[in-house]
Amino acid sequence: MTHVEADPQAMMRALIVHPDDNVANLIGPGKQGHQVSCVVEGQDGIETIELVDDLPSNHKLARRDIQAGEPIIKYGLTIGKASQAIGRGQHVHIHNIESGRGRGDLNRE
Amino acid sequence: MRDSFYGYVRDDGQVGIRNYVLLLSGTLYANPTCERVAHTVQNTIPIVHPLGRCQIAPDLAQTFRTLVGHGMNPNAAAVIVIDHFKEAGCEADAIAHEVAKTGKPVEVVNIRNAGGAVQATAQATNLAVELNRKVTGQRRERVGLERLVYGINCGTSDVTSGLSHNRCVGWTADRIIEAGGRVLGAEVTEMMGGEALIRQKAKTPAVAEKLLGYIEKMEHEILACGVDLRGSQPTGDNIAGGLSTIEEKSLGAMMKWGTKPIVGAVDYAERIGGEGGLWLMDTPGHGGESITGIAAGGAQIMSFATGGGHTINHPLMITMRLTGNSESWSRMGETMEVNVSDIFDGTPLDQAGERLFNEVLDICDGKMTKGEALREWNAFAITRCGPSV
Repeated sequence: MTHVEADPQAMMRALIVHPDDNVANLIGPGKQGHQVSCVVEGQDGIETIELVDDLPSNHKLARRDIQAGEPIIKYGLTIGKASQAIGRGQHVHIHNIESGRGRGDLNRE
Repeated sequence: MRDSFYGYVRDDGQVGIRNYVLLLSGTLYANPTCERVAHTVQNTIPIVHPLGRCQIAPDLAQTFRTLVGHGMNPNAAAVIVIDHFKEAGCEADAIAHEVAKTGKPVEVVNIRNAGGAVQATAQATNLAVELNRKVTGQRRERVGLERLVYGINCGTSDVTSGLSHNRCVGWTADRIIEAGGRVLGAEVTEMMGGEALIRQKAKTPAVAEKLLGYIEKMEHEILACGVDLRGSQPTGDNIAGGLSTIEEKSLGAMMKWGTKPIVGAVDYAERIGGEGGLWLMDTPGHGGESITGIAAGGAQIMSFATGGGHTINHPLMITMRLTGNSESWSRMGETMEVNVSDIFDGTPLDQAGERLFNEVLDICDGKMTKGEALREWNAFAITRCGPSV
């Protein structure tokens, strides 16, 4: 059996800013199906997450499965909540999370 | 670690890092006269704007305070206030009177009294030449970092902001505060969602309450418009860059504050107190309005941290731009000074932070920014409270 060298392009990296975070920040663009090596700040070791979606440069991916309505945690703090269920490795952005602040639209009849 | 810079010590104890003759336009109708003089006489800086007339009282007071704050900024060695009519509440003589308290030379040119804009241009041109002769004999002196007010701001943020360049600004802010200096941040829109962190970092409960009051006021104003903040904040370019919510943008923006306590909070364009440490000002997230407030607050230099790249440059407060986004550096490096994108390749924060710190002090000592070289005078904008009347 021949050993297949990993494609360097496939080695994607991401940063998890705080150990409590449920999202990771991709470094550069991401391709569906590729493995992402995630560094957790302040911790040793690497977490590997498979990308479920194509991601634009530096966007976020889910570190674990997130239920609809659950808070999205980055920097160890809440940055919004999930507007639908999000699976591990999925793109996390305005299509599936929403802000709780400055929402004058929610005040209207 | 460097602990000093070379600047122009002013009569009131402030230290300029530049030695300009400032041309301060009292009202929009004096702008072209200011600009003609600025294009004719070396070492002059024009401050032009669309305000100063038909404003409600709180706005007029804010315009007045902002213009006076620029006249008092130590990067101005001398000031010429140029005005059109007499505008109650924002009068050229009153601006000059306040600025003169610093001890620097101040002159007033009134377009109507001069006999029109052409005569006023001639009069202001002569004055600018004479003031240049008067102030440019001054030599730089070595002073400690306790004489520095370091402005911090960010714009065109993306996901790299909170992870790289904003943290370098925070690192530099920490070093300046450790040396006794003052750091001045702002951008209340980008404090929304960061209330818990503000409570932790404020030196006293009173400072925290003042800041939380600014946030509440801003959020109330947004809600009163009946609109969704999304699309305006985060802006379209923030969202394209991967920032999903204002809370995410805020927490990334607050990385610029470093790790030191917040010692005070001031209103828009108010001059900060003398205590060393981190100060914060009530400004919107809008870059030009925010950095104009900071310049009026007394900052000599500004680090503007940007994800997408930026041309922003205040005319008087020397503005250096940095990014941690390598793609933005390659696209927009011609109007930025520092690249810290190697943080994503493993460069430790200490190293990238020190690179920024050294560049800031080099610029204080006289090294020209790209914005200065290009005379990219694009970021003077006064925040408004109400409608024109």
